[in-house]
Amino acid sequence: MPSSHIILITLLTAAVRSGTVIIFPTIGEIFTERSGVMNLGIEGMMLIGAFFGFLVTFYTNNPYLGFIIGTIAGGLSSLIHAYICITLQGNQVVSGLAMSIFGAGITNFYGNRLANNQLKTTLKIIPIPGLSDIPIIGKVFFSQDIIIYLSYFFVFIMWFILFKTKAGVHVRAVGENAQAANAMGINIYKTRYFWTFFGGLLAGAGGAYLTTGYAPFWLDGITAGRGWIAVALVIFSMWNPSIAIIGAYLFGSLDALQFQLQATGTTIPSSLLAMFPYLLTLIIIIIATVILRVRHIGVPKELGKPFFKEEK
Amino acid sequence: MEKYALKAINITKRFPGVVANDHINFELYKGEIHTLLGENGAGKTTLINIFDGIYFPDEGEIYIEGKHVKINSPFDAMNLGIGMIHQHFMLVDTLSVLENVILGLKSQGFLIDKTSIAKKIKEISDKYNFKINPDTRIWQLSVSEQQKVEIIKILFRGARILILDEPTAVLTPQESTALFGILKQLKSEGKSIIFISHKLEEVMEISDRITVLRKGKVIGTVEKEKTNQRELATMMVGKEVIFEIEKSPIKKGKEVLKIENLEGYNDRGIKTLKGVNFTVNSGEIFGIAGISGNGQDELAEILTGLRKASKGKIYVNNQEITNYSPNNIINKGVSYIPSDRLKVGLVPNLSSVENSILKRFNKKPISRGLILNYHLAREYANKLIQEFNIMVPRLYAPVKLLSGGNLQKLLLAREISENPILLIAVHPTRGLDVGATEFIRKKLLEVRDNGTAVLLISEDLEELLMISDRIGVIYEGKIVGIVKPEEVDINEIGLMMSGSKLVNSAR
Amino acid sequence: MIKIEKREEITTKLRIIVPIISVFAGLIIGAVAILFAKVNPLIVYKSIILGAFGSRYAITETLVFTTPLILLSVGLIMAYKMFFWNIGAFGQFILGAIFSSYFAIYGSPDLPRFFMISIMMFASLAGGALWALIPAFLKAYWDVNEVISTLLLNYIAFNFLRYLMYGPWRDPTSHGFPLSKTFPINAQLPRIIPNSRVNLGLIFGIVAAIIVWFIIKKTKFGYRISVIGGNPIAARYAGINVSRDIIIGMLISGALAGLAGMVQVSGVLHLLQIEINPYYGYTAIIIAWLSNLNPIAAILVSFLFGAMISGGYLIQLTLQVPFGIISVIQSSILFVLIGSVFLLRYKVSFVKRRS
Repeated sequence: MPSSHIILITLLTAAVRSGTVIIFPTIGEIFTERSGVMNLGIEGMMLIGAFFGFLVTFYTNNPYLGFIIGTIAGGLSSLIHAYICITLQGNQVVSGLAMSIFGAGITNFYGNRLANNQLKTTLKIIPIPGLSDIPIIGKVFFSQDIIIYLSYFFVFIMWFILFKTKAGVHVRAVGENAQAANAMGINIYKTRYFWTFFGGLLAGAGGAYLTTGYAPFWLDGITAGRGWIAVALVIFSMWNPSIAIIGAYLFGSLDALQFQLQATGTTIPSSLLAMFPYLLTLIIIIIATVILRVRHIGVPKELGKPFFKEEK
Repeated sequence: MEKYALKAINITKRFPGVVANDHINFELYKGEIHTLLGENGAGKTTLINIFDGIYFPDEGEIYIEGKHVKINSPFDAMNLGIGMIHQHFMLVDTLSVLENVILGLKSQGFLIDKTSIAKKIKEISDKYNFKINPDTRIWQLSVSEQQKVEIIKILFRGARILILDEPTAVLTPQESTALFGILKQLKSEGKSIIFISHKLEEVMEISDRITVLRKGKVIGTVEKEKTNQRELATMMVGKEVIFEIEKSPIKKGKEVLKIENLEGYNDRGIKTLKGVNFTVNSGEIFGIAGISGNGQDELAEILTGLRKASKGKIYVNNQEITNYSPNNIINKGVSYIPSDRLKVGLVPNLSSVENSILKRFNKKPISRGLILNYHLAREYANKLIQEFNIMVPRLYAPVKLLSGGNLQKLLLAREISENPILLIAVHPTRGLDVGATEFIRKKLLEVRDNGTAVLLISEDLEELLMISDRIGVIYEGKIVGIVKPEEVDINEIGLMMSGSKLVNSAR
Repeated sequence: MIKIEKREEITTKLRIIVPIISVFAGLIIGAVAILFAKVNPLIVYKSIILGAFGSRYAITETLVFTTPLILLSVGLIMAYKMFFWNIGAFGQFILGAIFSSYFAIYGSPDLPRFFMISIMMFASLAGGALWALIPAFLKAYWDVNEVISTLLLNYIAFNFLRYLMYGPWRDPTSHGFPLSKTFPINAQLPRIIPNSRVNLGLIFGIVAAIIVWFIIKKTKFGYRISVIGGNPIAARYAGINVSRDIIIGMLISGALAGLAGMVQVSGVLHLLQIEINPYYGYTAIIIAWLSNLNPIAAILVSFLFGAMISGGYLIQLTLQVPFGIISVIQSSILFVLIGSVFLLRYKVSFVKRRS
């Protein structure tokens, strides 16, 4: 195989893996925001998920268990944010930020001893027989680990749920007109708790996948801002999972490229290149916002607004 | 007990500082249309919210078809066959009709059985001649069509008792008549209807029986045949109602406002003003009658600089001000009382002091170079509060704590004190009690007597007829007729409001 | 059954008690976290206090850390009064540091100190303001979400700094470490307390706090931004040029953050490096809220947080307790604070449900 092919395949494969890290929290946050809650704590939750994923795998040598525990850890931590935002009607922006700071702090605190360790067992690559032999695409999409395969289904299922099922109608209603949804008998609090927890689980999943599959070592702050990229991707995707996956892989490609360059030893261009994903996301956000303004759809109207049930 | 669809005994509901429902007894026969009549704040909405499970009564019992029930949520109400249509529709704009209908439905499984639901929606729609397509998004529908969706929603769930909260507030007289036809059809099918309104003429038309509430108590329940508007009005207000307000003859001066071929778009990019023409002179009140959504809101926003006109010209005192900034327009002597007080006119978190100087903080003496003279601001605020009898808990309390009437008075006080040459008032008495409403109308007349030109946009036709000197009817973005109140009756205006009649203007 | 009703008004007593309770609650949560790590929280807290106040040097170090916090939090207060969610203090801080460092590194060491410092100050104000101008402009004219834009700019700024420090601005004599050359004397902010690192920046901070307090409370601009923060539509109606004021407010906010950056490199570090501490930018957000958006209160709260940081470094050094615990405590304080706003707004009482 020509070497350019090899480079391309390596790059694209890494792109899918990096994209997978980010697609989980992005879709989670799409649903959280669709229900009306803004979660800026994804970065912190991803860190928590990453930490627990690493910790469990480190001691049990079972990356699958690590992934699950990491996911659950992310979900549990989101309950704090949920309680503050939904029940106590606290300021969602500040609570989310506090969550990110908390996550960074607590993983720094407990993760100190594990720093710079590498995992011996990571998620195994399982090539799918038949499909993995397709030139280029086979290696990129079908020679991956099971989490990535799950992610393919996951995106489709979540898209289906959002637009074709009753649960999807409910979450959209809660996020667009909570008063109407409430009058129709939907429990606003339950819905928001559920989808915020869901978002937390997925943030944890993204982080856990990071340390068990993508970059199997522990470093303080290993998520490097991916949580914030996820928040940006939610806007970029206009709260639609099918667009989110495109954005995720796009970011994944840039990230993989940057990683590659760094691996070849030159730090100078890699720093400049590291700016790229953020710069690109910013530009895309600007464009998306301007387009949204013209089309006047998109942002869930209840986003960030607490709901208060009138006293009975 | 079987003749009662719903019976409420001794219903009492207290909120801090007020008894909203005071030992109310109410009975709804099967197959009747029973109107709840009363002013704003009489307790009608509280009572029906109790029936719908939104509020829980402090005392009292409810019986549905003879059985004692507890209604703990709208869901319970639905299960008992009670369906409510609120004044502000409970619809999600971005979802389709079908999605709104199935919202909250417990019987549906995980997936949406689109075909059978759509079929049932169509059945209901056809039965009452609604012409509603299940896939249309709510924001694409007109107001009366949205109301029909609300009706479909509750019929879909098998409602036998229907409660409608001021359903005609957003309809033209013709649409109201159509609604009444639907209600009569429902009645003939054995459904029982509770109808809320404060439009006496309608009430006399549609009701079988009428219960009048005042200050949380039932004043009486009468049969339509045995009463009349005057009697009802007296029961509502408790004193002989004077339907007229003292209005001195008009002292019309020169032309203050001139609008030429004004065109404009709303937030959705739809053209709602399609060529508006009229003038207003000093010393007169020019009323604009029209159903919400025919361009009045955009008209007011364009006139005050909050929205850009796409075409046309506006002149104030012969000076063109089209598309000037709000600040420049204010400086030309234009004052604005918006319909949504807390949205445009006031800053809820700031105090009366800060709100009262909103229009003069940039001018001497309150402005001193870069600094603000808060001492003078305080004095000014106190002056307004005295003059207009505004109730504030504390001078520095955030104004969001004020009641609707007091907020409106604050707004009015501030705007009028600028001695404007043109005052634009949009729905100024909406949601206010009798006392505040009367105060505001008197003030508007006062201002007019002092030579200010007043542009009054209101949904309250009675109000327009009462205090305007001329009324322009707006329909689909155009003025379709200008009339004098003494020369026209309410039906003619209603016809104009729905576009069926063009009257040559009384310039 | 729990009955919840809106409170009529919020007394001053409550306003002060609630932040204080939050601080204690945060400390307790931190203690729990420490317990989990099988360390005695009392020892940790005692060390933190020692590290903050235990010696003359400790107190001066506390002041050193307080300094940038005052500037940053006061800057954020300016933004938050307008309800502009400036999360980008970190990036603005970096840009200020970069801009001022340029003159320190490439300027002449013979320039009189007064001039050099002044130039560096203006440069840092400009750098921070520039970085704030971008999201301000985007929000004012295109309604781009400022949380995202300021956040992304943080990462862009950080990577730009990395690039400079590994690349063109790296000191050739630093053995490969990403550091700039040490600033000449004329580029160093004078120390104001002998035998310590406390520098003129502290005065900058206090002056800035007073100025911002004055702006908010007494000037027309301050009135305008309260209106903008309270109701942007009413602001437009009142003739306020919302876009312009948002930009001015953010320029001030960013400039102060930039100045904090200059203070850090010129007053404390005497060089530019990557480890410029991202942490300050986010801590300042907590401080701004804890101070209830009052710049004078921010001075005190910054001092408190400065103490925590100083103590945090000590425990890292002597007890090997990672600095992260400080973040845990501080974010916990914030959690409790935000949550308790609920108690401020509503009265919670227990009512017997009728049978």
